[in-house]
Amino acid sequence: MEISIEQRKAQRSKAKRKEVVLAILMIAPFLLIFICFSVIPFIMGFGFSFMKYDPYAPEGTSFVGFLNFKNLFDAENPISVAFWKSFLTMFLFSAVSIPALIIVPLFLAYEVNKQPPGYKIFRALLYLPSIVSITIAGAVFCNMFRNDSSGVVNAILGTDIDWLGGKPWEDDFLRWVVMFIARIWMGIGGNFVIFSAALRDVPKSLYEACEMDGGNRWTKILKVTLPHIKFSLNMCIFNTFIGAMNMYALPYTFSTLSNQDIDVAPMMWIQKYLLGGMAYSTQTGYLCAGALVFGIVLTLVTFIERKVTAPSSKRTKNTAKYEQMLLGRKTLLHSSVKREEYNYD
Amino acid sequence: MIKQKAEKRRKTKSEKTIIREKTTSFIILFVFCVIWCIPFLYMIGTSFKSELDLQVHPELLFPSSPSEWTLNNYKGFLVQASGEAGYLIQWIFNSLWSSTASVVLTVLFDLVTAYALVFLKFKGKNFIIGFLILWMTVPGVIGTAPSFAIYSQVKNSLQVNQNPTLLYMYIYMWLIVPGLSGIFNMLLMRSFFLSIPKEIVESAKCDGASNMLIFRRIVCPLAKSTIMLIILFVFIGSWNNLVFPQLLLSEGKYGWKTITVGMTVYTGGSGLDSSGVAMAASLFSMIPIIIVFIITQNKMIDGMASTGVKG
Repeated sequence: MEISIEQRKAQRSKAKRKEVVLAILMIAPFLLIFICFSVIPFIMGFGFSFMKYDPYAPEGTSFVGFLNFKNLFDAENPISVAFWKSFLTMFLFSAVSIPALIIVPLFLAYEVNKQPPGYKIFRALLYLPSIVSITIAGAVFCNMFRNDSSGVVNAILGTDIDWLGGKPWEDDFLRWVVMFIARIWMGIGGNFVIFSAALRDVPKSLYEACEMDGGNRWTKILKVTLPHIKFSLNMCIFNTFIGAMNMYALPYTFSTLSNQDIDVAPMMWIQKYLLGGMAYSTQTGYLCAGALVFGIVLTLVTFIERKVTAPSSKRTKNTAKYEQMLLGRKTLLHSSVKREEYNYD
Repeated sequence: MIKQKAEKRRKTKSEKTIIREKTTSFIILFVFCVIWCIPFLYMIGTSFKSELDLQVHPELLFPSSPSEWTLNNYKGFLVQASGEAGYLIQWIFNSLWSSTASVVLTVLFDLVTAYALVFLKFKGKNFIIGFLILWMTVPGVIGTAPSFAIYSQVKNSLQVNQNPTLLYMYIYMWLIVPGLSGIFNMLLMRSFFLSIPKEIVESAKCDGASNMLIFRRIVCPLAKSTIMLIILFVFIGSWNNLVFPQLLLSEGKYGWKTITVGMTVYTGGSGLDSSGVAMAASLFSMIPIIIVFIITQNKMIDGMASTGVKG
């Protein structure tokens, strides 16, 4: 059977077109859901923050410019003040909990990496709390730290401490302590397994070489282990950061009647007024402005965090020259690198 | 003789240090694990305590004597379905079916989308991937309020409120569907597909296999471990999700909640029920996720680790 060039071309383009149609059909559902439930709400949130908007009366929508943001920065508005205060509590708690959430798992992973007998069981047990849902953890810890003597902690200590009571910025220090304990209990699992995988991949020969050169345990950790797990370390810090910024469930579940209406994280602030339904619906624009500000702060903080922890490639004066040399642009004999190196001292 | 001598020889210095290090790390890990288990032990012990023991011996993790072990705390939601606790089974059922639906649909969507993005040629592919990666840095919180606004507007305009079954389905549609476009899982699948040697797919194409056949017979079987990982991530994520479900389930009937939202009645220092019932409910509602964990424990930890390292 003879096929002319034109026919072959037509066949080929037809097959190509068929593939494109198939591809579009295959990614369409994903993209459609992505656009409907992620992109459009985002754009709407951006738009609403410049509008007066009420989902129960969409006829009254009007453009108000920066009024919502002005309200948000208004120091006399108690709701705005609560919003900014919530940032402070969140940042303070993050500043305390993030280092602990990095150091404790790193230490435990270091110990597991020595592979003592039964280390797989230890690994599973330490990871187990991270799959428990936050409300169950809340139920367990709140019952352990009950404010009267019926709680196990108070009963053992023989005290009558009101662990979870108190208002933020006044007398709720113990509540944050309990939250910190629960956060560590739940939070180390993910970082712990990432660290243990990273530590497993550090070549043993490097430790031996370090030992040969007379390095003790600390030199080994500082000069061999840490540089090798840098990437995992950065990633864990980033993940922990994001988790800490989105704090909602922890303060929500660890509360008593005396402090359950108080917002200690921006997410709580947003959720509280959304849960209000009809009562706060006229303030949707204001709420969106708050969410937008929170989102921008979140992005900024993570951006700074990325910049700070990003692995910096160490470039000395001669790096570029060595690179060029390796590329073959200069041969070793003709390069001035060697001479300059001596002068550099 | 020689063998015996070899066994009896004194241990070298480095062997000794290794043994010493292993012992210390064993002790440290053991202590940590005991501390880490206390909440679980408390949960188990308290859930079996009798009413008297809860009053008299709050300082003990477990019931004080064998006669004080009781199943009374479980009766509340297992036998007589009454009060708050009576809804527990319903909550677990809600969570089970919605999480399972999320898992099945997400895996399907991820497989199909990643296949198109890797093995099919079309314009704009790189743009889509770049856009999705960029989008991962956008905080989702900005879209929460508008999502809720869309939710309530569609609900009002379609008159969903009038029919309870319809409202239930509508709420759960909103809980399941937005999660299907999880970018991270899709990119995970894509990076696995990229690691499949192109030659396999090419040679199948040369042999005249259609895309459907390649997808079903070659790509899906190879992706088994990645599918497993996504199942775990999605199941646990969906089971433990609190913020958005809480928002949507604040209306509707009490029995419609998911278990994670429903369990909030037991939290807080001023919990409604006695600790015994609260712990029994917690323990009971943990059963599905513990089963998932026990079956997949090794794979999950390794999978977590490998995704972490590769980013």
